Amino acid sequence: MIGVNDFIPAYDWTFEYLRRNRGEAAVEAFWAESIAFDSQQHANVLIQAKGLQGMAEYWGHTLDSEAADYCTQLAPDYFRIDMYACPSKGALIRIGQQEYHDYCQHCMGWIRPIMDRAGFLIDHEHNHASQCWWEMYRHGGRHPVVVPPLRMDRDVRLRPGWRQAVHHLWLASALIESMPGHLP
Amino acid sequence: MAHGDFYFTINATFYHFTRNWGEQALVDYWQALGREYLQPLARRFEAGGLAEIARYWAEYYAAEPGGTVLVSRIDPGTVLVDVHVCPAIRWLRQSPDAAVHPPVHPMYCQHCLYINRAMLANTRYRFDLEGGDGRCLQTFTGPTAPEARP
Repeated sequence: MIGVNDFIPAYDWTFEYLRRNRGEAAVEAFWAESIAFDSQQHANVLIQAKGLQGMAEYWGHTLDSEAADYCTQLAPDYFRIDMYACPSKGALIRIGQQEYHDYCQHCMGWIRPIMDRAGFLIDHEHNHASQCWWEMYRHGGRHPVVVPPLRMDRDVRLRPGWRQAVHHLWLASALIESMPGHLP
Repeated sequence: MAHGDFYFTINATFYHFTRNWGEQALVDYWQALGREYLQPLARRFEAGGLAEIARYWAEYYAAEPGGTVLVSRIDPGTVLVDVHVCPAIRWLRQSPDAAVHPPVHPMYCQHCLYINRAMLANTRYRFDLEGGDGRCLQTFTGPTAPEARP
């Protein structure tokens, strides 16, 4: 059977199987349709109903269950995640597997459609080395669109290892650039 | 790392294939999983024989949340995986968030059959499946001795 204990490598392989047989657009459609609104429907329901509070409930529970090393912050106008050691990407790095060319992309692939539907925008950056940060906020809630300031000492951007590899940065749910690690 | 909600992802993936490309596309995906992704496991089974097959599945199901599965050698040439409570079907039906998700995919139980048979296609071992819907008997049969090394 396909189990959950060793699911992540099979998930990564599935992305590549889809890309190889159906094309890159099919991978993105898989995330945007079936992962966002079927696999993660419980997240969608919570976020549609409770907004920022629903995000705090969903990610608090899920990341605890996955034994992630992370920190969340529920502020009046945003919800933030600092991921110090992503269990999924970390597992792939440990076993040396990279079937799909950008495993980290799948999180934005399913989270953005849910946030779009709920009226939230996303600022997000990941370093492909199992570290990332996220801030979700109401549509129109930030002007101008800039990289958020450091969030005290829990900010992953201050952690060892942050400034490595290639970073992907999204602001207001749009991919800005790929770049080396940086501080705001 | 194990989170039962990944069963929702597996179920959603099966729906994605059949909704977009039909049942044969799902079978093709399962067979590719067995033929390609799981070939290292097939080689491991070939090298370790039925003892390794029994050990692997006992540890595998022990790590899955919420199942009741007994793995035994019912005779020298057969490993029986007796799934009293399938952890996946149980999660998809009884976990706290099950109510907001689609039901178990109608072909869900067949993934064990297609994946294992494709995985073992070039080995000396055979896989059979009886039952389903959360309760099944899975048998691995073959020679008792591990593959002889040249």
